[in-house]
Amino acid sequence: MLLGARLFCVQLGAAKPLSKIASSQYKTFSCILPKRGIIYDRNLKELAGSINLKSIFMDPLMVEDKGSAAASLAEVLDIDADKLLHKLNNQKRFVWVARKVSPDEEMAVRRLSIKGVDFVKEPQRVYPNATLGSHIVGFVGVDDDGLEGIELKFDKFLKGTVGWRYGIRDAKKREVPGYEYREIPPADGNDVVLTIDSIVQSFAEKELDNAFKDRNAQGAMIVVMDPYTGDILALANRPTYDPNKIQEYPAEARRNRAICDFFEPGSSFKIVTASAVLAEGVVKPEDEFFCENGEFKWSRHTYHDHKPHGWLAFKDVIKYSSNIGTMKSAIKLEEKRLYRYIKRFGFGKKTGIELPGEIEGIIRHPREWSKLSLCSISMGQELTVNALQLACAISTLANGGYYVKPRIVSRVQDKAGGVIEKFEPKKMHRVIPEKTASELRKILRGVVEDGTGKRAEVDGYFPAGKTGTAQKIEPDGTYSHRKFTSSFIGFLPFDKPRFVLVVIMDEPRPAYYGGTVCAPVFQKVAGELMRYYKIEPKRDET
Amino acid sequence: MIKNTFKTHKIIISIFTLTLAALLYVNQQVLIYQMGLKIKDNHQVYSKIVDRNRILVYNVLNLKSPVSLEEKLLAKKVELGMPHKWQVVKLESSPKKFVSKTIVKKGLFANLFVVSREAEASPNVF
Repeated sequence: MLLGARLFCVQLGAAKPLSKIASSQYKTFSCILPKRGIIYDRNLKELAGSINLKSIFMDPLMVEDKGSAAASLAEVLDIDADKLLHKLNNQKRFVWVARKVSPDEEMAVRRLSIKGVDFVKEPQRVYPNATLGSHIVGFVGVDDDGLEGIELKFDKFLKGTVGWRYGIRDAKKREVPGYEYREIPPADGNDVVLTIDSIVQSFAEKELDNAFKDRNAQGAMIVVMDPYTGDILALANRPTYDPNKIQEYPAEARRNRAICDFFEPGSSFKIVTASAVLAEGVVKPEDEFFCENGEFKWSRHTYHDHKPHGWLAFKDVIKYSSNIGTMKSAIKLEEKRLYRYIKRFGFGKKTGIELPGEIEGIIRHPREWSKLSLCSISMGQELTVNALQLACAISTLANGGYYVKPRIVSRVQDKAGGVIEKFEPKKMHRVIPEKTASELRKILRGVVEDGTGKRAEVDGYFPAGKTGTAQKIEPDGTYSHRKFTSSFIGFLPFDKPRFVLVVIMDEPRPAYYGGTVCAPVFQKVAGELMRYYKIEPKRDET
Repeated sequence: MIKNTFKTHKIIISIFTLTLAALLYVNQQVLIYQMGLKIKDNHQVYSKIVDRNRILVYNVLNLKSPVSLEEKLLAKKVELGMPHKWQVVKLESSPKKFVSKTIVKKGLFANLFVVSREAEASPNVF
């Protein structure tokens, strides 16, 4: 009777909580992590992938001798024994010992056979090319979340969706296979295919690195672009970092300077002024300007040329990079018209490249300009740009006058190669007429042939370009005479350009002219590019 | 009496059948469990091999990467670069006649099991 009554009570009163306890003892729920997508270059070479490594955890309540366990684990894993012991003394049932250890370390810990130690598989992001293209690819955190570069920008595509499984477990808390009663499999992340060519990236980085070291620069950037599609073939910065060992590098090295840093472009910007005056028809290439023998007073300010010149045709003004000649040509143009061209060339707004952290630079509206602004802006002062904006601007001249949106991702695809999202090249708007672009290409060819950019010459390929040497601004607001931003922007071959290159050096020393510091990098990278793409050299320009 | 004996037999047979069925069921469950464990173990071995393979592939990719190659070659004072035209020797591709002859020589059976071109390189699009 008593037993019956007890059973009746249990069944009626305590059935629910008891069955809850029972189900928590034998039921198990586990997450199934998806595989993070791969990042490929344009030739489907892997730039970022994932491997599985073991992470080690402990149940401190199961450990018999915590002191010796901590000591032996610390020795094998090269971690702090005291910190580990402190963790083990907490009244928790789960403590991380080390995450994502190497297979050798895993084996060494297994050999210790410490009770309470267990292993769990975790994906580890790896970058087989180490520093190559690290600013583009970016990196992930310990939980596989994208923190920089493409890893961050395309995290939602790469990450995938976590799956889960309800199953039952045995007395030893092992999941019983074949008894899963509900399972949603994980959806693996999609792959991202970039427009980068890892070979081009490799030699661009090599030459940039050499120049960065030789010129004792604070920073350096290079962009290689297809002027017709806007495809970025290479984009590199110095200093750089290895995303496999991210903790060993300072935040400074991780900055993608080509899009995150802005600077005054200096004479490189004269391509915009020249485009504006030629397109508006206020100046012709043969028009002559008196360059005041290197000293020109305008509104209580004296401007200088780096070399004194007398009368120069406009094409020679650009060829010899005369500030005074450029200013005088800009004076013929109203402020608003120059501003309109600056905006059309894409300055003062983001290029929209598929990378995080891009800055737009600073271009003030003409109503905020002083009397000196027209002259200063015409020669690349009083405004700031980033390296990629310069690449887009020079592309406009190379492709016949169109602004092309730069792109670094060509498509997102699933594991079977099916396209999930495609990023088509985008021709945005016409900036200057074809005729003006053609005239400017010839003028810029003169810069390399006989002007400030002679060191950019590549025999048989006739490159064209523009040098720039901009004084940096000191903290007190004055222009520095010791710190410069040097640049060379150009394309080749000048008549039918295939590639655009932008090389920037931040504070090179002791030499600092763009033609001395950056043009040789252009020359080397451009030469390698031509050989890589098997473009036949020509005997003469015509 | 006979009726009772028959009833008893019936009960015994039923119990026996039920017990047998229950035993069979338990045995089946145990077998399923054992097989599940075996599958799990095999799967673990398989995934371990796959993971190991992935690590080795990563190591190969790492060794093949331009950065790593350059480091090694620079240590030997060898610099990598694109070859000039005069440094490249172009070999004529094999004539079609020669290629078709070799296939014919393989015989009928060989040709049945010969996998033709698996992939074809496509030129880069610019």
